[in-house]
Amino acid sequence: MVLPPLFIISMETGNAVRRTWKRRWGQRYSYLLFLLPAFVVVIFLTVYPLTRVFYLSFYRYNPIRNIDRFVGFGNYTRLFSDRFFLIGLKNTFLFSVGATMTEVILGLGLALLFNVKFRGRKLLLPLVIFPMMFSTMVICAIWRSMYHYEYGIFNYALRSLGLDPVKWLIDRNLALWSVVLVDIWQWTPMAFLILLAGLQSIPVELYEAARVDGATGVRLFRHITLPLLRNHIFLALLLRSIDTFKIFDKVYALTGGGPGTATETISFYIYREGFRYFNVGRASAAAVVMFFAVGLVSVLYIRQVWRRER
Amino acid sequence: MRKILLTLLFFLCITALALPKEKLVIAGRDGGYGAALQIAVDLFMERNPDVKIELLKLPYKGLYEKLVIDLSAGIGAYDIVMLDDPWATEFMSLGWLASLEELGYTLDPDFVSPALAVCHYPYPDGVLYALPHVGNVELFAYRKDLFEKYGLKSPPETWADILQAVAVISTKEPGVHGVVFRGRKGNPIVTGFLPILWGFGADIVKDGEVVLNSREAVAALKFFLLLKQYAPEGVEIYNSSEVREALLAGDVAVAIEVWPAWVPDLDNPEKSKVVGKVEIIPAPGLVEKSSPMLGTWLLGISSASRNKELALKFLEFVTSAEVQKLLTLQVGHAPTRKSVLTDPEVVAKYRWFPNQLAALEAAVPRPRVLVWSEIEGILGEYLQLALIGELSPEEAIGEATQRIAEVLGG
Amino acid sequence: MNPWRFSLTTKRLLFWALLLSVMTFILFPVYWMVTTSFKVPLEYATRTPSWFPRQMTLDHYREIWKEQAYKYFLNTVIVSLTSTAFSLAIAFPAAYGLARFRFPAKLDLLFLLWILLVRMAPPVVLAIPLYTTLQSFGLLNKLTGLVIAYQIYTLPYSIWMLLRFIRDVPVEVEEAAAIDGASRLRTLLAVVLPLVGPGLVATAIFSVIMTWNEFIYALLFLKTPEVFTLPINIAHFITEYEVLWGPLMAIGFMSSLPILVLSGYVQKHLLRGFAISFK
Repeated sequence: MVLPPLFIISMETGNAVRRTWKRRWGQRYSYLLFLLPAFVVVIFLTVYPLTRVFYLSFYRYNPIRNIDRFVGFGNYTRLFSDRFFLIGLKNTFLFSVGATMTEVILGLGLALLFNVKFRGRKLLLPLVIFPMMFSTMVICAIWRSMYHYEYGIFNYALRSLGLDPVKWLIDRNLALWSVVLVDIWQWTPMAFLILLAGLQSIPVELYEAARVDGATGVRLFRHITLPLLRNHIFLALLLRSIDTFKIFDKVYALTGGGPGTATETISFYIYREGFRYFNVGRASAAAVVMFFAVGLVSVLYIRQVWRRER
Repeated sequence: MRKILLTLLFFLCITALALPKEKLVIAGRDGGYGAALQIAVDLFMERNPDVKIELLKLPYKGLYEKLVIDLSAGIGAYDIVMLDDPWATEFMSLGWLASLEELGYTLDPDFVSPALAVCHYPYPDGVLYALPHVGNVELFAYRKDLFEKYGLKSPPETWADILQAVAVISTKEPGVHGVVFRGRKGNPIVTGFLPILWGFGADIVKDGEVVLNSREAVAALKFFLLLKQYAPEGVEIYNSSEVREALLAGDVAVAIEVWPAWVPDLDNPEKSKVVGKVEIIPAPGLVEKSSPMLGTWLLGISSASRNKELALKFLEFVTSAEVQKLLTLQVGHAPTRKSVLTDPEVVAKYRWFPNQLAALEAAVPRPRVLVWSEIEGILGEYLQLALIGELSPEEAIGEATQRIAEVLGG
Repeated sequence: MNPWRFSLTTKRLLFWALLLSVMTFILFPVYWMVTTSFKVPLEYATRTPSWFPRQMTLDHYREIWKEQAYKYFLNTVIVSLTSTAFSLAIAFPAAYGLARFRFPAKLDLLFLLWILLVRMAPPVVLAIPLYTTLQSFGLLNKLTGLVIAYQIYTLPYSIWMLLRFIRDVPVEVEEAAAIDGASRLRTLLAVVLPLVGPGLVATAIFSVIMTWNEFIYALLFLKTPEVFTLPINIAHFITEYEVLWGPLMAIGFMSSLPILVLSGYVQKHLLRGFAISFK
C-alpha cells in the first residue's frame, strides 16, 4: 500500500526539499500550506477506508455472521475460480472499452458537425448536452420503458415498419451493448464538449495555409486536426474510461446483472458480495483487484501527462 | 472511543432538549405499505397527542442493506423496523430485535398461524420478536374468462392442468401469452420458482443441510423451462412491476405469482383492462399439497431503541383487529388476522379473501436459515442460467447445491 | 470560413440529414419522458403506445407537489453547492501548489496518483468504512456528512482539472507580481485566480452536475426524509410492484429543469474551460 504523501514529506526534511524550494521562493515549507487542506480531507476520507479494504482482503470476514479469520491469498484464489467474477471482469472491460471508444468517436463526429457555422447552431448547442444533466435513475427508467420488448416504443416503431422487434435487454449477446447505448446517450455530450473546445482552439490560419498548399478534406483532418486535437482526445478518453470502468448504477437499474451473467460487472459483484451477503473479505479482494487494474491505467496516464507537460 | 461516547452524549442531550414529546421513528416501506402504515400512524397520534411518530417510507431496494447496517451497529436510529420474513432469522438470532414477551406482550391466537410462526426464533415457537403486519402470501392468478372460453378446468388443480391450459391459450387466443412469472435473477426468480419446487416435493434446506440436489428438484426446474415457452419474450428480466403490467394489460392468461399488495388493482378500471375477469387462488400442488410461499412483512422493535414500551404500544395498536380492518377497507391492506379476513364487510369488497386466507393457512415460509440472503442469491443465479439455456437443469441444480453447501459450511 | 459554402447541394442535404438524425437520437428520450409525465396510467403499458398523450393530465405534477418534492429540491441545492464550493476552495490552492512547486522524490506525482485512484475506485468500495467514519463523528444522516463524503467524487476531480488550468498561467505573470512586492497569497488571489476563472467555472459546473445526481452515498448515509435529496426521492417512484411512470417522469423532468434552463450558460463555460486547458 502506498503511504500517503504528507507523511513522507513531513518525515523528510533533507537537502532535496530545501534546495528545490530555496531556488524558487525562499520560504521553506509554505508550499505545504497550500496542500494541507486537500491532504487532510483526502487522508480523512480515503486512507483509512482504502487501507482497511486492503487489509480485509486477506481475511474471511463477514461481520453479521461473526466470521473473522486470516486466509492469506484465499480470497484471491477463490475469486479467480468464480465464474461470476471472471465474467464480471470481462464485461467490465468490454463495457469500458466499448463505451469509451464509441463516445469519443461519436463526440468527435458531433464536434466536427458543430464546428461548421450553420443557422440555428446557437440554439441547438445547449440541447446537445441535455442528456448528461439528468439523474441516472430517471434515464435508466426511461430507457427501460423504451427497451421493453412488448410495450416499448422502439419495438413498436420496428413493428409498424414491418420489421422484427429487437430483444434489447433480453438477448444475452445484446444486453450489454444495450446498456452501453444508454451510457453513450448520456455521456457522448461530454466527449463532444471537450473535443469541440479543442477544435475551436485550432487557428483557422493553419487550415488556410494548408489549403493553399493544395490539401483537402481528409488530409486536412489527418495532418492538422487530429495531431492538434491529441490532448483533448486523450482527456476525453481518460475521463470516460474512469467512469465507465466503475459501471454500476445502470446495471443495477436496467438488468440487475442479467440475463444470466450477460451484464455482470465487477462493481456489481462487489456490491452484491459486500452489501447483500456481507462477505466483506471477498468483496475487498475484488476491490483490490479492481484497484490494481485501474492503478496500472492511471500510472500510464500520469507518466504520459508528466512527460509532456513538464 | 471517547469521541464516540462524547458525540453520543451530545446527541442525547440535544434530543432530550429539543423533543419534549415522546418520539418514535419507524423504518417502513413505501408505496401501498407506506400509505397503510401512515393512516395507522396518524390515527395513533390523534389518540395520543403527546406522541410524535416519524414514519420513513423506504423503497424495497436498499432497505435490507440499510436495516442491517443500522441494526448491526446498534445505532438505534429506528425504533420500529418493518422486515420481510426471510430476513427474520438473521435479525432475531443476532439479537437485533427486542423480545416482545419480555416487554409484556401476550400472544393473540387470532393471527393466522404460519404468519405468526415466522415471528418466533427459534422457528416456529421460540421467543416472540415481532408481530405479523402485512399478510402477504404468494397467490396464483388466472383469467377465468379465457379458461371458460376454451373449456379448461377452472380452477386448475395441479401444475399439469396449468401447463395444458397455458399451452392451449397460447396457441389459440391471439395476442395473449399463456403464463407470466418473475424471471429476473436473484430474489425474483427464486420466489417465482419456489411454489413449483415445493409443489414437486423438493426443498432447498432441511435441518441446516442442503437437500436441493434431488430428482424432484430437477423435474421442477424442467417443468419451469416448459412453462417458459409460453411466457412473453423477455421473461428472464421480468420483475413484479412487469408481471403486474402484463396482467393488467390483459396480455397474459396466468400469473403464477401475484401478491395481495397489488391484487386490488386488477378490479380498478383506471388501471386495469381485465376488471372482474381474473380469479385469484392459492398456488396448486403436484405431488405435495398446495404450497404457496409466505411473504409476511413483520414489525419488530430494535434492541437499540430507547422507547421500547411506547413502540410496543404502537405495535399492538397497528396489528389490532380494529385498525387492520380499517386499513384493509381504506387502502387494500393485506390483513394477518383471521377475524378480519373473514369479516363480511371486508369480503364483500375483496372477493378473493376466502382464497387468500386458505393460501395463508397453507403457506410455507422460506427456509429459516441465517444466510438466506446469500443462498437466495446463489440459487437465483443458477436458476437463471438454466432459464436462458446456459446450463442444463441438472448442472444448474448441481452447481447451486455445491455453492449453497459451501455457504452453510461457513 | 465555411467549408460547406461552395460544396454541392447534396453535400448540404447530407449535412442537415445527419444533424437531424443526431438531434433526434439525443432528444427523443427527453421528449418521451416529458410526454409520459402527462399521460394517464392506462397509456403507459400497452402494445400500441401513443406518440403524444391521448388524454392530457396534470395529476402527476400535482402529486409530486403534494409529496413536497420542493423540500428535497432545496436539500439537493444545498448539498450540491456546498460540496462544490468546499472542494474548489481546497482544490484551488492544492492544485496551485502541485503545479508550481517541485516536490522531493516525486511526491507530487504520488499524491496525484493516489487521488486519481480514489476517483477511479467504485463508490461502493468505500461505502462501508466511510459509513463507520461518518458515524463516529456524528455526521450520519446530516447534509454536512454528505457534503464531506462527496469530496471523494469532487475533490480529486477538481484538483486534476484545476492543475491543468493553472499550468497554463505563465509563471512570468506571477514573478512580475512578486517583484512588485505582492505576497504569495495576494499573487494567488489577485493574479492567478482571475486568469483561471473560466476553468474554475467549468470545474464547478461539472462538480454540481456530479453531486446533483449522486445516488449511492445519499441512499446509504441519509435516513430521514427531512434530509433526503432528489435522487433518493426519485427512487421512491420505482416501487417493488409498480413503476409509477407518470410521477417518476414528472419529478425526473422537474428536478433537471433548473440545470436544463441553465444549459446554454453551462455549455458556454464548459467549452471555454476546456479550450483553455490545452492551449
